[in-house]
Amino acid sequence: MLKALSLKLLRLAAILLLVSLGAFFLLDLVPGDPAAAVLGEGATPEQFAEVRAELGLDRPAMERYADWMGGILTGDFGRSMQPPVQEVSDVIAARLPVTLEIALLAMVMAVGVAVPLALWSAQRVGRIDDGIIGLGTSAAVSVPSFLAALLLIYAVIFNTSMVIAVLSGIFGVVAGACLCRAAWGLSRERTVAAGLPWLLSAAAAGLGAALVLTGFPDFPRQGFVRIEDGGLSENLRSVFLPALTLAIVECAVFTRILRNDLINTLGEDFVLFARAKGMPTWWVLLRHALRPSSLSLVTVAGVAFGRLIGGTVIVEVIFRVPGMGSMLIESIQSKDYPIVQAGILLIAGVYVLMNALVDISYTVIDPRLRHGHS
Amino acid sequence: MAIPDVTQESRPEVPVLIEGVDGPAAAPRSMRVRKWLSTTVSRLGLGLAFGWILLVVGSAVFADLLPLAEARDTSAAIDTPSLERPDLFSAHPFGTDRQGLDILGGVIYGARVSLTVGIGAVLTGLVVGGLLGVLAGFYRGRVEAVVNFATDALIAFPPLILLLALVTVMEPSVRNVTLGLAVLGIPTYIRIARANTLVIMQREFVLEARVIGARNARILFREIVPNVLSSLVSYGFVVIAVLIVAEASLSYLGLSVQRPNPTWGNMIAAGQSSLERHPHLVLVPGLVLFLTVFALNRIGEAARSAWDPRGRS
Repeated sequence: MLKALSLKLLRLAAILLLVSLGAFFLLDLVPGDPAAAVLGEGATPEQFAEVRAELGLDRPAMERYADWMGGILTGDFGRSMQPPVQEVSDVIAARLPVTLEIALLAMVMAVGVAVPLALWSAQRVGRIDDGIIGLGTSAAVSVPSFLAALLLIYAVIFNTSMVIAVLSGIFGVVAGACLCRAAWGLSRERTVAAGLPWLLSAAAAGLGAALVLTGFPDFPRQGFVRIEDGGLSENLRSVFLPALTLAIVECAVFTRILRNDLINTLGEDFVLFARAKGMPTWWVLLRHALRPSSLSLVTVAGVAFGRLIGGTVIVEVIFRVPGMGSMLIESIQSKDYPIVQAGILLIAGVYVLMNALVDISYTVIDPRLRHGHS
Repeated sequence: MAIPDVTQESRPEVPVLIEGVDGPAAAPRSMRVRKWLSTTVSRLGLGLAFGWILLVVGSAVFADLLPLAEARDTSAAIDTPSLERPDLFSAHPFGTDRQGLDILGGVIYGARVSLTVGIGAVLTGLVVGGLLGVLAGFYRGRVEAVVNFATDALIAFPPLILLLALVTVMEPSVRNVTLGLAVLGIPTYIRIARANTLVIMQREFVLEARVIGARNARILFREIVPNVLSSLVSYGFVVIAVLIVAEASLSYLGLSVQRPNPTWGNMIAAGQSSLERHPHLVLVPGLVLFLTVFALNRIGEAARSAWDPRGRS
């Protein structure tokens, strides 16, 4: 176990080294002279020499890399090339929390919707509702995130009243269906237990419809409000649509994976035993089936979170959110190489660490994988 | 990258039937009806998906022969009305954009870019990644260690960041974007090829080939590659879909083929500022992009459950 772990750590260190080399020497791949790209046309030779010195282009490559790496290990990421000149670490400190918030919110929404959907779908496998969920998820994974973002903007911001009507309509229909089901259950079995869950869900759906009708918030088209500036509710309102955009695809992926695992678990003997004891379906699903089925969900969610740290690029650009992704795009466009390098290093580093963490937690959770049976 | 297939899962076992009472194979009628319904629906869906892909490929190939209004040259479209709404029975069935360029034509020429990039990148990735994966699985040892490490390093970069890094230093052209996307697909192919090679190496026919004294090259190309190829190709459809999305994202960000040459991504980017008043500028290319990716995903799922032994359950 210890040997396997240290091997993994060694590998991780090697890959991190490779990532840092990649991020750093990207600068040398720029066609022509990077200093010329920074300055543009009409620069004097003195300015030229100055920028070359600042980028360290007048020194040997390995020395430059050692300097850069040494700086980063002591928390010094250098300074940006374009005005306003500022410490790269300050830029990142301002941008990273924004991206983290969006990624975290997206994950919470995605898991929160995916778990009930997958439970429902797995329990009703092969039926029409399972088919609809399957079709819906496979459609959702086919929508590129920029398209999803624009569609959401078109619907929620430009056609708010339509969205309210549709949402409250859906909630209303669900509430009605649950009421009918509760009435049917009560009339058949004549016990409160037969109708209570359905009555509760009808009430929840009714409450949802009422909430949508009365308090549908006014989402901003773009921008980001920090908690210090506008309070928590303003802040959440400004990140809701970006997070929802990311959540849609992730939710579809999570639903499919969890459903797949649940179907396998539901065929196991201990589930049959629990059913034979007369446990209600929801109890069997939540207490017996969900936990052993969530292994690959945890893995995929971990990797997805690592990816989201860098993968929010497009969403941040569309909603003009000042996060890591828009920082990267802006600095690529303005040829601000120190920021590009630091951004790529940080995003890829988080991604690698997240993958390694998932990899290690996998062997901790499932003992069968400890001795390399995979 | 690839999304695991779950729709083709078989149903869990039917509740135990008491023999002699229910009969050995007499499934209830409702169940038979349901099964018939679901196979019919999924076949119909697959047919529609094939039809759509054929339509897109066909119109992209024969775009120059179709009677399309001007979609690429802004100076030739100078006297066509701009921002016209879609009207199926006019010269511009899907409307025109800000510069009077035809949306239908743009979508079709955009399909050319998307398909060229997607298919080209997948073929490149398939050949390079497949070969490396097969070699790693065949020779094991040091070759495998090196290939595995390179794969891990490539996968270590988040996909979009890797692409952004590549296009930062490359000219945005169809060829360069294709190459960049091929790099993105290579690790997936290496892994699939290596895993399949390892499985096939255990099979009797490989052992038999060895026993009759076949050389490594013969075993590789006559026994292993044909068997690995089917699962590689069956993953191809899904990977094409992923790469078409990636290309669209790049051209949406302005890092792929530039305006006025139309791609689905840059058409959407150009239309997004007038989303409120003229939604068709975004919705038409968006719908075509979605349908194409959706259809490719459905075909890919079907292909994987038919051709890839590991996709079957």
